[in-house]
Amino acid sequence: MEKFAKAFPSKPLKNTAGKPWALAGVVGSGNLEVLVERGSRPSDAMECHIETSIPGYKASWLAALADFAHHYPAGGTKVTINDQGAPPVLVTLRLRQAYDHLTKGEK
Amino acid sequence: MTGTSLFHEQTARQRIAAVVDAGSFVELLPPPERLTSPYLAQLGIPVSFDDGIVIGKAKIGGKKLYIAAQVGQFVGGAVGEIHGAKLTGLFKAAARDRVPCALVIESGGVRLHEGSAGEIAITETMRAIFECRAKKVPTIAVIGSDIGAYGGIGILSTCCDFRVMTEHGRLGISGPIVIEKWMGKKAYDSSNRALVWKTSGGKTKYLLGDADALVHDDAGAVREAIGKLLAKSSPVTLKNAKARQAALAKRLKRFGKTENPDDVWKGMGVRDIAAASLASGPEFVALAKTGRK
Repeated sequence: MEKFAKAFPSKPLKNTAGKPWALAGVVGSGNLEVLVERGSRPSDAMECHIETSIPGYKASWLAALADFAHHYPAGGTKVTINDQGAPPVLVTLRLRQAYDHLTKGEK
Repeated sequence: MTGTSLFHEQTARQRIAAVVDAGSFVELLPPPERLTSPYLAQLGIPVSFDDGIVIGKAKIGGKKLYIAAQVGQFVGGAVGEIHGAKLTGLFKAAARDRVPCALVIESGGVRLHEGSAGEIAITETMRAIFECRAKKVPTIAVIGSDIGAYGGIGILSTCCDFRVMTEHGRLGISGPIVIEKWMGKKAYDSSNRALVWKTSGGKTKYLLGDADALVHDDAGAVREAIGKLLAKSSPVTLKNAKARQAALAKRLKRFGKTENPDDVWKGMGVRDIAAASLASGPEFVALAKTGRK
């Protein structure tokens, strides 16, 4: 297991109303779950907490998260991830799914 | 999450959303509560925010119910301490509030990493189920996924008033691989999917009376089946228990030595085995009608 946390600069979330949290994915082999919650401080940073069963890929994680924080206005959110060996593309996909659920509602 | 309408392919959260009235589901102990397994973390196994079970309150056709769905992808939907406590609490709440409770099962039973805690949780849930039944509060198990209901969860499902199954669902105590390990591959080949489903699958369980409804692999069909059972209950009486015991003894006498599952189907009145193998849900029920009393 490897555990780390980091905050990434990101533009503030556009709509402040809406559901307080959203979840995407499940913890299964090659998969992960991403929980995105509103109300984190400061409003211009995306706070991330990662827990993964596969150690040694911190640099890839930080790159994927920094990229997401750069492309999406996700400031003021807290992202918590439970991972069981998901490939980087799936990490990006689940982040987008959870973000979409949070900002646009499920489905 | 964009979902398919095939019930067995949906995730636990999708299943609940598709089965209950739109927007009526209120999750209890949702992911932000972070009620995760303390044991898995110690063993270096990733945890899940909901510990593999989604529980909450909802409505079907405007009628209130408590509902839970197990997450099969997370350690096989297995029951750990937190998972089990959520399950027990939900059935206890159902008994207290006299509101029906449905459990969408996808579990191989107790989570071996936290064995004793899981075993105790399952027995406590059974106790809560019987508390519901004593108060005539309907309890419904839905078994519609390939993982099915095995081990303690298989037993627990049979404690409920009713079981709704699809042809994908499987119900048993020991799983196919366990039986093969004990009895040998000649006696039971767990890689033979046709054999496994014909012995523990929804269709056979319906024929034998272990499942009360057999429906299509579709959330709408499952919803309809649950809706029909919300106002019913199956009382636990000495008379009923004795009648059930007698029926099981009769079944064992009749089929105990049978080696080919087709013979069980024939024995239960299915005339056209090939047609019944291809039929699903209500079509199978219609073909089997003559055999099932």
